[in-house]
Amino acid sequence: MSQVLHQAEILETPILRFAGHTFEPLPSGALFWHAQQTLLVADLHLEKMSSFAARGQMLPPYDSGMTLRRLEGDLRRTGAQRLIALGDSFHRDSGTTTLPPADRARLDNLTAMAEWIWLSGNHDPAPHALGGQCLPQLQLAGLTLAHEPRRDAPGLVAGHLHPAAQILVNGRSTRRPCFVHDNRLMILPAYGASTGSINILSPAFVGLFHWPSLEVTMLGKDRLYPVSPRRLVQG
Amino acid sequence: MTDLPPRIADWFASKGWAPRAHQLDVLASWQAGASALLIAPTGAGKTLAGFLPTLTDLIDGDYEGLHTLYISPLKALAVDVARNLTTPISEMGLRIKVETRTGDTPASRRARQRVDPPQILLTTPEQMALLLSHPDAPRLFGSLKRIVLDELHALVTSKRGELLSLAIARLGLIAPAMRITALSATVARPDLLRDWIAAPVPDAAAHLLTAQGGAQPHLSILATDERLPWAGHSANYSHRALYDTILEHKTTLLFVNTRSQAEMLFQGLWAINDDMLPIALHHGSLSVEQRRKVESAMVSGALRAVVCTSTLDLGIDWGDVDLVVQVGAPKGSSRMLQRIGRANHRLDEPSKAMLVPSNRFEVLECEAALEAVEENHQDSEDPVSGGYDVLAQHILGMACSAPFHADALFAEIRRAWPYHDLPRSQFDRVLDFVATGGYALRAYERYARLRLTPEGTWRIANPQVAQQYRLNVGTIIEEPMVKVRLVRGRGFKQGQTSGPIGRGGRVLGEMEEYFFGTLIPGDTFMFGGEIVAFEGMRDNEAFVSRAVATNPKIPSYMGGKFPLSTYLASRVRTMLDSPESWSRLPNQVSDWLRLQQFASELPARDSLLVETFPRGTQNYLVCYPFEGRLAHQTLGMLLTRRLERARARPLGFVASEYALAIWGLGDLSALIRTGRLSLDDLFSEDMLGDDLEAWLDESALMKRTFRNCAIISGLIERRHPGKEKTGRQITMSSDLIYDVLYQHEPDHILIQATRRDAARGLLDIERLGQMLARIRSHIVHKPLERISPLAVPVMLDIGKEPIFGEGRESAMADAADELMKEALSGRDRP
Repeated sequence: MSQVLHQAEILETPILRFAGHTFEPLPSGALFWHAQQTLLVADLHLEKMSSFAARGQMLPPYDSGMTLRRLEGDLRRTGAQRLIALGDSFHRDSGTTTLPPADRARLDNLTAMAEWIWLSGNHDPAPHALGGQCLPQLQLAGLTLAHEPRRDAPGLVAGHLHPAAQILVNGRSTRRPCFVHDNRLMILPAYGASTGSINILSPAFVGLFHWPSLEVTMLGKDRLYPVSPRRLVQG
Repeated sequence: MTDLPPRIADWFASKGWAPRAHQLDVLASWQAGASALLIAPTGAGKTLAGFLPTLTDLIDGDYEGLHTLYISPLKALAVDVARNLTTPISEMGLRIKVETRTGDTPASRRARQRVDPPQILLTTPEQMALLLSHPDAPRLFGSLKRIVLDELHALVTSKRGELLSLAIARLGLIAPAMRITALSATVARPDLLRDWIAAPVPDAAAHLLTAQGGAQPHLSILATDERLPWAGHSANYSHRALYDTILEHKTTLLFVNTRSQAEMLFQGLWAINDDMLPIALHHGSLSVEQRRKVESAMVSGALRAVVCTSTLDLGIDWGDVDLVVQVGAPKGSSRMLQRIGRANHRLDEPSKAMLVPSNRFEVLECEAALEAVEENHQDSEDPVSGGYDVLAQHILGMACSAPFHADALFAEIRRAWPYHDLPRSQFDRVLDFVATGGYALRAYERYARLRLTPEGTWRIANPQVAQQYRLNVGTIIEEPMVKVRLVRGRGFKQGQTSGPIGRGGRVLGEMEEYFFGTLIPGDTFMFGGEIVAFEGMRDNEAFVSRAVATNPKIPSYMGGKFPLSTYLASRVRTMLDSPESWSRLPNQVSDWLRLQQFASELPARDSLLVETFPRGTQNYLVCYPFEGRLAHQTLGMLLTRRLERARARPLGFVASEYALAIWGLGDLSALIRTGRLSLDDLFSEDMLGDDLEAWLDESALMKRTFRNCAIISGLIERRHPGKEKTGRQITMSSDLIYDVLYQHEPDHILIQATRRDAARGLLDIERLGQMLARIRSHIVHKPLERISPLAVPVMLDIGKEPIFGEGRESAMADAADELMKEALSGRDRP
């Protein structure tokens, strides 16, 4: 019994080892880099719903607030000194100007709490002045941080693809966003409240990973679940 | 006595016919300045009855503009009625222009119809909404005298009926002299239907007319010496007998409740079709061309039998069908009567129909339906009251036609029967939703679709809004479907999930996307009359190959759309409770009930029987509410939550039309005996409070319901000018939207709309509430040593029907534990 408990504890706070560093993944989809006191998040897609409103579809204007509140919680919980957003932080460049006043104030608060680095993504290529620095990509402690994943950069931490895993256990299937990495590349799940996901078995991921060393960590309600790649199914 | 104009009277005489009484009654109502609802069975000459006033009015043929609008639920029906109308018009030598207008009508003709309309226009509710959204609608419909509504009983129970009611309310303002003639099959509450057509024309009376009923139908239940199955829906035992019956008749229509049942029956009949009888298959997943082919073969009398689903419930007159067979539960008595009416469209001859139960419970249901039909008892659904999603669509459409004053539009909308008690506050919220999304956080004023002018009218903000409206009009939401394409198989090995898929072959048809979400490559299922293996998905297509298996692995039975009617359910309960009536039942069924009496007891008419027993390593709770699968599913979800709190450690449940079985690790009999679990508390109505809320928050069924409301209300577009979204894209984003909205504004008008739909639809909360109230303090608990005879059918469904339970997180936990075990076993540990 005690051994089972012990196992459960290990499982609930898994550590991801990648390119010589250790990371703590959070159920929200953020990755805490303890040694650097840095919180990594990908694909916030702030102001996604309001970008639909401009085209006549009045989707609820609450997604930015949800994402920012979640981020605030993670910053407080981890005490991170630095936050690096791995691109597509805004669903489109103009989103930096459409944040509702309350969300704008919340963001100002957050950029004052920690040092912010906004990496550019395909949805938000332009730099902005919302606090912190805007960079195309970044080298940190031997790792490369950038928006789009690629195979030719060992030690790359990226976002962009919104990875999700689907597993089938006892006839029941479950699909959740996930962290996915091998010995060269780590892709973070999309963090934004309005983001969808792509199955890591789909063509978008073909050729990116070395399958035998692949590790998949699914996001649960309030814990993480490492699962064997052999469990994965399409869908 | 109404006098027919001589030209029409002569025409009747030349045919050797006399006008029927109800046809003359319709004319008399019209001449008295009243609207009329005609309740008539099929074959009673309804079409002619509906149009007799128009023919009389237009006998001189010099009417300028549109005189009569005919609206039916089916395009095919409009086309068929046009044909049936043109014949007498030309035989009488009248100069009346009749035209149809459907989605298939060429754009050029549709444009011309708006400028130069025919005197009689035959169309659908969606086309009406479109026509009324144009600024020229008042000119086009100003001359309107009559509206003929066909199959009204089918329209009023759906959102299409709500849309239609709003369109008619507008027509009532444009053409106050307009009168309505509605045609309907027999329904439970004709007075409600009459109110429905009276509401938009408040100045006129509305008469309720009833045609003399046809001959009493000959209805029987298939007698068999074969063993009746305990559970399942395939009715395999009956195939030989059904085949022989088809041989004895000219043309047989075989109705089933689901597509997979249709597939099984079709395959079963062809397996023994030694005479090579032309037997066809008709259901909603087959390609349109394939369905049209079957329909025209049917009309030309080339078929001996058609296996079909509700796709043939309504529609054009087949003429020569001399037998209707219902395989599987009839679900409701009105439903059954309408299906029987598909046979023999000649009024004076009795229709002939046969019921074929597919399991023992269904024997009871068939027997109940037989008695109900003999008594001609109706249990059809009442007209639905107005949904906010449809209202939102309509408000936008009205704004596209012309700027409006909110007060005036509100008064107009209240003249649509489904909205007759709509509160002003709700109207204002829907209007706000249409304009800017209706959110407490007023973030979208600058993107507003409707703007208030200085004169106090609401108008569309720009012409694109109208363009968007017209691309998205309508209330029929298709499930996201994927094409099913046949390819050469790859020869699956277990666990192999990748590899190239062979080049595409022909498309077999379409199927709901969510079905494939549950499959892994190599799984076999039945489609288009054959067993196929799932190969994989690519670009919104599912690839399948021919499989060698004799039994499909995945039972794609997804339950019928229609739950057992409350009325038939109460009849079944009464039958169980009165052993003296069992003599009508086959011996194998009455023996089964007697065994139940001996081993446990029978559910009494007004109480709920709950049995608990151990089996294997688990404990079971089986109860028999007889409220239909949907209500039972909801009950199962809520009960497992409560059992979890009571530490009874439930693991899952399965719901059938009649019963619900829950299993878990805790000893339920002991928990109840020692008073640690009270059944009265477990089944108390307050489960519809907090437990329901907590579940709705994450329920997939709620999200599916929300998706429909979001599309109909215009929150999400089906089509955007220039591009089309696929079902998957809409589904994914609507789930996210639901999550965001439910968390922030659980009282938003669209969440309210979703709840109202869910209460009646996929969650059937309304019915569950009625049941809980009925059985309050009438719960009979039977702790048993072993499974009871009555529990056998639902227990057999375990493994065949989808199993519910907490699942999601625990599936991941299992997978994670497994990985951990693997990791630990591979290491040397101290």
